[in-house]
Amino acid sequence: MAHAAAIGDNRSGMPQRRLPSAKKSDRQFKWLLVTPAVLLILAISIYPLVFSIWVLFVNYDFQIPGHAFVGLKNFQQVVTDPVFRYSLWVTVALTVANVAIEFLLGLGIAMLLAKSFRGRGLIISIIIVPLFISPVIVGQAWALLLQRPFGPTNYLLSQLLGHEVTIGWLTEFPFNFIALVVADVWQWTPFMFVILLAGLTAIPPHVYEAAELDGVGGWQVFRHITVPHIAPMMMLAITFRLLDAIRMFDTIFIMTGGGPGTQTYTTSFYLYTIGFAQFHLSRATAGAWIFLVLTLLVIVFLVRRLLKPEAK
Amino acid sequence: MNDRERRDFEAGLSAEVDAWLRGEPTRRDFIKRFGQAAGMLAISGTALSPFVTSALAQAQMQLEDPSTPLGKAQAAALAASVEGPKDGSAFRAVEAAKQYAGVNLNMTYEAGLQALDPRNFSGPLWEQLTGIKSTVVELPGPDMYSKPIAEHIAGSGAYDVLDLQPQWTPALADGGVIQPLDDLIAKYMNVADLEDYHPLYKALPTYKGKIWGFFDDGDMFALYYRKDIFEDPKLNEAYQAKFGKKLEVPKTWEDYAQVAQFITDQMAPNVYGAGHFRKAGSPGNQFDFMQQFRANGGTFFDADMKSQLATDAGVKTLNNMKAANAASIPGNEEMDAVSLWVAWLQGKVAMIYSWPPTGRMSAGYSQSDKAISFIPQSSIAGKVGYAIVPGGHPEHAFGFNKSLAADSANPEAAYLFMQWACSPPVSLARCMLPYALRDPYRISHFKSELYGQLFPSAPEYLANLNNSANVGLLDPIMPGAQDYQLSLDRMCTSVWAGTDPMEALKTAAAEWDATTENLGVDSQKAFYAEFLKLPGATVDNTVEALGMAVKL
Repeated sequence: MAHAAAIGDNRSGMPQRRLPSAKKSDRQFKWLLVTPAVLLILAISIYPLVFSIWVLFVNYDFQIPGHAFVGLKNFQQVVTDPVFRYSLWVTVALTVANVAIEFLLGLGIAMLLAKSFRGRGLIISIIIVPLFISPVIVGQAWALLLQRPFGPTNYLLSQLLGHEVTIGWLTEFPFNFIALVVADVWQWTPFMFVILLAGLTAIPPHVYEAAELDGVGGWQVFRHITVPHIAPMMMLAITFRLLDAIRMFDTIFIMTGGGPGTQTYTTSFYLYTIGFAQFHLSRATAGAWIFLVLTLLVIVFLVRRLLKPEAK
Repeated sequence: MNDRERRDFEAGLSAEVDAWLRGEPTRRDFIKRFGQAAGMLAISGTALSPFVTSALAQAQMQLEDPSTPLGKAQAAALAASVEGPKDGSAFRAVEAAKQYAGVNLNMTYEAGLQALDPRNFSGPLWEQLTGIKSTVVELPGPDMYSKPIAEHIAGSGAYDVLDLQPQWTPALADGGVIQPLDDLIAKYMNVADLEDYHPLYKALPTYKGKIWGFFDDGDMFALYYRKDIFEDPKLNEAYQAKFGKKLEVPKTWEDYAQVAQFITDQMAPNVYGAGHFRKAGSPGNQFDFMQQFRANGGTFFDADMKSQLATDAGVKTLNNMKAANAASIPGNEEMDAVSLWVAWLQGKVAMIYSWPPTGRMSAGYSQSDKAISFIPQSSIAGKVGYAIVPGGHPEHAFGFNKSLAADSANPEAAYLFMQWACSPPVSLARCMLPYALRDPYRISHFKSELYGQLFPSAPEYLANLNNSANVGLLDPIMPGAQDYQLSLDRMCTSVWAGTDPMEALKTAAAEWDATTENLGVDSQKAFYAEFLKLPGATVDNTVEALGMAVKL
């Protein structure tokens, strides 16, 4: 009630004098209101973050008793681990491949479906269904389709090609990477599509009409009208997708288990393995911080690009 | 309001609501009743929550028809618990546990089928006998190790009874996560029951001279083969003509690959010679490598704890495994244990080596329960023979100990449950459950007439498991076991993908050495020395080699 009194009616527009004690009470009440939220954030976000910084420099390993100070040893072990370095390249390769294909496909489908026609709503609804499926389920579904000896893919390909196909989709290079990209593209192309479709439908029709009257060709229209108009949406879609794709884990876990050997280890899968399969938590934390810093570089670059038109 | 009043009230409420929906009563009547119902719900929420929690945690006890072998085993377990013998571990555990009636025990179990035993049988039966409730906490494999540690660090006392792989015992004992049982055993157990363990399994929970749990799952690999194929006259004739010897169940790994290839050549695509679970992350790679490597004369570490993987024994092992892969069902390298069982039960392969449920599934016994309906019905029942794996030294792959959490708020009650569940009559009934994956481990299990009646070839099945344990090998029991085994899995799968065996062995050896360095060479040396003392640590000190073999 003190708060209600403090902000009381001031219809006259005259400045109201408030007692110092009321001001103080007002301030305290504000703090009281935000305290639960602050405590919650501290508990679930700040505390683990600070705790992880401590873990970086100690031994925090379920197999070694105690938490002795080890300096930078955890970082050194991660950086000198060839599997970690290799996993970064796999992450980059898969992220670039996934996002590029998803972007091109999403753009193509969005352009096809930009104009209204009968059944368009139904088609769009079907296209976006994969977005609502858990990546674990997507991985399991593709594994069932591809995994020998029971998956039907090789059988279907054999029937189509007229000779026996015996591809190890989950164990043979490069087919294992192709399988991972296919699964990711199947799930996330609709994400690109939805964002780009929103951009395309926001372009004023009169711009296209003017171009048509001027006799501008299709490619020129795309290049000089469509792309500039939806460029911010493209950037947004690519940024969001890139940030998600960089953490690729679920499909790897289900489809290839990181194998054969460590061939399909992404950095997320590597960190999971050393953290939760081998229980080297301090090493996993060091790796996670390194990965976070590397990811931040990408984020900063992309966000700056994203905000550039706004700054102008 | 007692239960009866509540039921009557709820019945009245339903009638009132129905009447209200028909437009008969006044709005005021309904609001009054609704207010009463909401109030009762609020009050009953507190009162009912323990009941609801317990009801959710435990399904109804499933007891089999007393005329069946399992029904008889369950009746015997019940009789041993309530009638005695009075000095039996089951009886003594129940009698002592009654003082803890009303407490609740939190027990970790591997998620899935393993957890059905405490949910459907042992948990409800224990509650009926003692009044002690139990909550089953299902955990995925790796979490069975990490969660108890995390809870111990937090000091939460979240768990009482832990299902743990024996290889984790040293780390968890040294870390204070589990507590020794020696005093409680002396107080409550008929120690003669310890002598009923097969010698391979008896020492598994022992570490630094103390007992840290009760062994509870005999995960012994064995060879399962199609008798009808090996007895086929035409195949025998062809084999004789090609190799100048009789077609027999292979005794060596070279023979195994040769026989598998021969059957594949003769019978594919209907039947392939062999199948394995070689998928990355599937533990088949590590177990198979460890059993073959040691059978081929390999040792894991030298006196300085340097890895001895990159040796002739390692190369020979990987080459044998590659030859077996080539002779196997297509997709061999992509299969996990379950998909291998599916191929086997469908009659697509002539030989597999895997865990003991293979025998029960082959006979169609496991599939008698709907919980295991994801496994197809057996098309090979009555056609399956049992043998020790080629090389003569099968892997004891994982297994489980029941251990007592150091932070348990009810350590004696938890201990008494463990003693009861692992006692000879109760553990027999648990191992005979069709849906659970607990496998025989006591001498009395292997000799059990009731178990022998489960399916026609059960006596041979039990004898083979016992004989396999006599010559079986243990997974290394020491800190870092996960790291060492992960390196083996990566090594194997990279070889399946085309990496040169020696190159892969060197990579794995370097990873092993890094793991050893990280954990401390001296301490790992001490752990390894402890491990080598166990029967089954090497081919030279198997149970049989030590003169302790169990003859049925």
